[in-house]
Amino acid sequence: MPSVTINSPNLQVDGPLVEVHFLISLELEKKYNEQKKEIPPPVIVKALIDTGASACVVQKEIPEQLKLEPIGVLKINTPSSKDHECYQYFMRMIIPSHGLTYEGPFIGAPLEGQDVCCLIGRDVLQSGILIYIGYNNQFTLSLL
Amino acid sequence: MENKPLSREIETYHKHKAELLKDNTGKYVLIKGEEIINIFDTQNDAIRVGIDKFGNMPFLVKKIEEVDSKQNFTSNLIRAKQHAVSNY
Repeated sequence: MPSVTINSPNLQVDGPLVEVHFLISLELEKKYNEQKKEIPPPVIVKALIDTGASACVVQKEIPEQLKLEPIGVLKINTPSSKDHECYQYFMRMIIPSHGLTYEGPFIGAPLEGQDVCCLIGRDVLQSGILIYIGYNNQFTLSLL
Repeated sequence: MENKPLSREIETYHKHKAELLKDNTGKYVLIKGEEIINIFDTQNDAIRVGIDKFGNMPFLVKKIEEVDSKQNFTSNLIRAKQHAVSNY
């Protein structure tokens, strides 16, 4: 089970942040290769592992940069809003240095504050392990 | 959502919702335009078939359920007030 362990200067303030690469899905990459179509380069962003998020969210510019069309629509609830409709995009998220890969739907929405462009939600954690060692400013994420 | 991506597909879903609910509650339907392509057990299976058939074109994969489930977020990092599909 590939995993990444990160030591944060201040885990309580920053939260469990990890650099991830977003790419088009393997299926779409295969199609593009068959069609000799150019594959968009990966979009590299900071992601926050958020156990309060039931699903993954990305800054909506990420699927735009990958020139992706939506594959779904759903409603989201946040502390300040209810039933907001957002598009879903099918993407591949990887941490190349550690061999972690997750391919699935991501909700496109505007994220504010800090420089977080992705929330890694419980849909990813469903197939993984998150170890948070607060006193050591360290966390580990493992994915199947 | 008139003229927005997936507006036709959402219309198609609602048009056929009652019959879809009869035998397929909890499964995922793949819709392109006014056509129901197929029903799948998992969301990712439906999406992968959608990509295989339509490539990078908008298509709708939707869970078949009486009341649409929602995704919940406890932090306020999402600026949802300014954001909705209808604002695209």
